[in-house]
Amino acid sequence: MIWEVFRQEEAGKYHTHCGNVHAPDREMAKLFAQIQHGRRKPTNSLWVVPKEEIGEVDTDDAAFGGTTDKSYRWVMGYKDLDAAFAQEIADSESEQEAADRQKQAQRGDD
Amino acid sequence: MAVEQAGLGTPDDLSDEEREAVETLLYRLADDELVLGERYTEWQVRAPTLESDLALANIAQDEFGHARLWYDLLQDFGADEADLIYERDPADFRHSTLVELPFEEGDWADAIVRSYLYDVAEDVRLEALAGTSYPRIADRVGKVRSEEEYHQEHAQNWLERLADDEEGRARLQEAIDRLLPYALTLFEGDEIDARIDDLGIRTESLDSMREQWFDIALPFCRSLGLDTPEGIREDPKSFLPEQVGRDGDHTDDWRDLHDEMTHTYRELGRTEAHKIMPDPDETDE
Amino acid sequence: MSGEREDSRMDIEQVKERAGPREFSPKDDLPEDYRKAATRMIQFHANSEIMGAYLEKPFIRQAPSLDRKLAFSAKVQDEIGHGQLLYRAAESLGVKSRDQMLDELAAGEGKFLNCFHYPMENWAEVPMIAFFVDGAAMRRQATLKRTSWEPYAHAMDKVCFEEGFHVKHGEDIMRELATGSKKEQEMLQDAFETWWPRIIQFFGPTNEKSTHHDFSADVGLKTMTNDELRNAFLNAYIPKARKYGLELPDTPRIRDNDDGTYEVVEEDLDWDEFFTVAKNEYEPGKGQINTRAAAQDAVEWVRNSLDDWESKGGATTPQAAD
Repeated sequence: MIWEVFRQEEAGKYHTHCGNVHAPDREMAKLFAQIQHGRRKPTNSLWVVPKEEIGEVDTDDAAFGGTTDKSYRWVMGYKDLDAAFAQEIADSESEQEAADRQKQAQRGDD
Repeated sequence: MAVEQAGLGTPDDLSDEEREAVETLLYRLADDELVLGERYTEWQVRAPTLESDLALANIAQDEFGHARLWYDLLQDFGADEADLIYERDPADFRHSTLVELPFEEGDWADAIVRSYLYDVAEDVRLEALAGTSYPRIADRVGKVRSEEEYHQEHAQNWLERLADDEEGRARLQEAIDRLLPYALTLFEGDEIDARIDDLGIRTESLDSMREQWFDIALPFCRSLGLDTPEGIREDPKSFLPEQVGRDGDHTDDWRDLHDEMTHTYRELGRTEAHKIMPDPDETDE
Repeated sequence: MSGEREDSRMDIEQVKERAGPREFSPKDDLPEDYRKAATRMIQFHANSEIMGAYLEKPFIRQAPSLDRKLAFSAKVQDEIGHGQLLYRAAESLGVKSRDQMLDELAAGEGKFLNCFHYPMENWAEVPMIAFFVDGAAMRRQATLKRTSWEPYAHAMDKVCFEEGFHVKHGEDIMRELATGSKKEQEMLQDAFETWWPRIIQFFGPTNEKSTHHDFSADVGLKTMTNDELRNAFLNAYIPKARKYGLELPDTPRIRDNDDGTYEVVEEDLDWDEFFTVAKNEYEPGKGQINTRAAAQDAVEWVRNSLDDWESKGGATTPQAAD
């Protein structure tokens, strides 16, 4: 059976999908994953998850974030207000701007 | 979505009669979405689980967003948002009475059944608008439909799960018995409807839309072990509730709701409704 | 990390030694003292998201424009979403389940932020929560990205990402009122005078009076003191209040250090009320807890229905193979 493998590079970071292994059970999957996905890239932890336990919804099924204007729920909807007075607001703004740029780029690819 | 037939052209091109037909249709669309969204927000911070709270809040926002698009088309004729929502006499609203009924505390079955009945009707209605002769509507149908798909799927999934246990099914049945007559008001109209059809603003008549709705909703409910009233297909008019909404006749609950919605606006003595988002015509959405 | 774990349960000294940003995760066998302290802190935070949303919810309906309504609905939605993240982060400590924590909140046993115990009556009060309290929360949350409980820090990543919108939305409403009619400006000033002391108390009592601070700091759960957070907040938000023409009330006295920093004279604040509020014994707050509890109770049947479905195996319905 197929096990999807998620790697965390260092403590405190997120586990992100990095590949999979064929293995007959969880223990073997962990053994194989260590070698296949943890032997070179920096690894603090691996998760193995049976592929059939993963549910997926993708852009064919869903319009993530909607199709009508939702700028009211973005920092950028209020761009005439200065965010620099507090570092954490400015950070949130730049993170949201980055996410929005990615979304726009993705939409452009469709 | 190109409009093939000659079409009605821009708002300025419309004759008085054409304009009246377009406005009649738009008021129903916009008011339905606004008032339903408003009722859905009652579930915010009160839904059964945190996840279901988030989902219904999102649906409410979608409905408001759709209302915003339709009201914007009414603004082509000179009214502004304040005229259309905050200063309009509640008796001039044209939404179906299905969407104005309040939710009783804890009646999640009502929320789900209402959503299902509405969303199926909405899908039928948007289908009938996809080929509209009025280009301003045609431009906006697609993005509204895309969001409505999630709504219908959401309602359907909930129905299937709740209908699977005895208490859930009993509550759903109670909601269906109460709401089906109100849902029929979605297909009510007036003397202008013949003109709406003749002008091709909509490609299906109300009667035909109601038939399509029955074709989908009734078998689905029955497949879940839920009963629908005998004879409702044959003689829907006899099942209509006292107030149908489309003619401006509403329940008292609507007056109360409108009063609450406009409370701040009146308290502050506002004369216009503040915008955050750009005009829909100025964005590439 | 292979083979037997020899150091399976850490003692508190080991925890203090290792304590650092995102240092501990569910894999670590942490002592009960740590897990309880972290649960208490995160549960408090999660409860506050829910009760804050509860307090603001009526203004979705009362918002004076469709765009404001949308923004308000989105904001309340976000707060519930933050509750979802935080209860999960708390749950992962293995002390309490989410249902347990929500039941405690309903029973009046769950504690939450002082500001959310007070009623809100009009639109002019909205920015007090949506700008000042959210701004204060954001100040604190930004420091919690470096908390030692990794799932809590991960929750903060998403919360902080989202929350910038809340503060700006709050400021936008404040600006509209501050530049509106005389009546609106007066209502705004009244609201500010009512809420300002509570807002300052948001950060809790000064460090000497805070019961939990030392331990939380030692094990890396908290990364800044109440005083540091409060002062940082004052430095950023007092100029904002002034910018919108708001006058600071005479009490609590605020010391202007003439270098762009401020300090509050703490004995001017009503700490008796604060501690009454903190114990869930303040009257309006009790009403808010109880009506939310009734709403939660009224949909118990839905949760039961979902549980039945889950136990019948609905949850593992496999999706079609690819």
